[in-house]
Amino acid sequence: MKSESEALFVKQLKENQNIIHKICRLYTTDEDSHNDLFQEITIQLWKAFPNFRGDSKFTTWAYRVGLNTAITLYRKKKRTIDTIEFNSTFHKVTQDDYNFEEEEKLKLLYSAISELNDIEKALVFLYLEDKDYTEISETLGISEVNARVKMNRVKGKLKKILNP
Amino acid sequence: MDELDLLKKDWKKQEGSFQQISEKEIYGMLHKGSSSIVKWIVIISILELVLWASISFFTADEEYFKTLKMYHLDTVMPIISVINYGVILFFIYLFFKNYRTINTTDTVKQLMQSILKTRKTVKYYVWYNLAMTAFSFILVFIFQFMYDPNIRKMVEKMSQNVDPNTFYCIMLVVYAVIIAIFVGLIWLFYRLLYGILMRRLEKNYNELKKIDF
Repeated sequence: MKSESEALFVKQLKENQNIIHKICRLYTTDEDSHNDLFQEITIQLWKAFPNFRGDSKFTTWAYRVGLNTAITLYRKKKRTIDTIEFNSTFHKVTQDDYNFEEEEKLKLLYSAISELNDIEKALVFLYLEDKDYTEISETLGISEVNARVKMNRVKGKLKKILNP
Repeated sequence: MDELDLLKKDWKKQEGSFQQISEKEIYGMLHKGSSSIVKWIVIISILELVLWASISFFTADEEYFKTLKMYHLDTVMPIISVINYGVILFFIYLFFKNYRTINTTDTVKQLMQSILKTRKTVKYYVWYNLAMTAFSFILVFIFQFMYDPNIRKMVEKMSQNVDPNTFYCIMLVVYAVIIAIFVGLIWLFYRLLYGILMRRLEKNYNELKKIDF
């Protein structure tokens, strides 16, 4: 039996699934864990859906539940973490604008990000998603000033890796 | 171009590279069980609430009341039991009250706080029960010595060979060691159990606290 709210939820999630894929991309290192986390976020979103009143955007709401699941609720299954696999299989390159130097830099950046802790990853994620500091602070529950300070530190950390 | 701009550009580009999940697959996921730590904490917590409550409940048989009478504890123990049930009920109420505040649409920090708070309720509940168990043990031991005819006979027999004070000291140490081992084992068990479940959450919570002092 598919209820009306179920159909609405599935439709919205399908349209916005890239948000969740991107969170999985940052917090997991292989395809199995990616799918595993995707499923857990979907379950958590569905559980929280009755409280979603539509006064905020579905995407804003999904960002929050998704990050909460990745950082706090999700239990990583025991797997050997292979960062080489992370770089090679997950980083798909489009052939038309292939640039060797840029590609090397990106590889380094992604591997540096995979070394960050869960909170730093959340900051990087929200930065890459063009979120402003108000939204970042509201998502993480820290002050705007402290979010800014920490973000600058993380950015500095990443730049330093590229230009030692 | 700045490295981070480069990263952002690449990040945006990958939108199309994710294997898209179909509606049918999403429907399938909705009916699968969650494996979140909250689910595990709730399962373990409810088991604990039930376990400790049933220990106090099921040990109260007829034999138990006869023994209480023999030890002259038949007025004190029921009072302690009533208080104990009251405290247990209060903990169960607190647990569900805290559990209901766990909300994935909260901020990351609030969510972590409400999970930690719920977990703490159970932690105090377990400590309360351990303390209560130790207290009952001690009470029963003391009154056993005073009123149990079998123990008294044994004590008298032993006292013929050993100085009574030394004997009491040895018994006291033996009892203390038994209680300490019992409490220690349970403590170790909980450390392991929650250590595995909560390690990541606690690490991330401390990280957030470091940023937002």
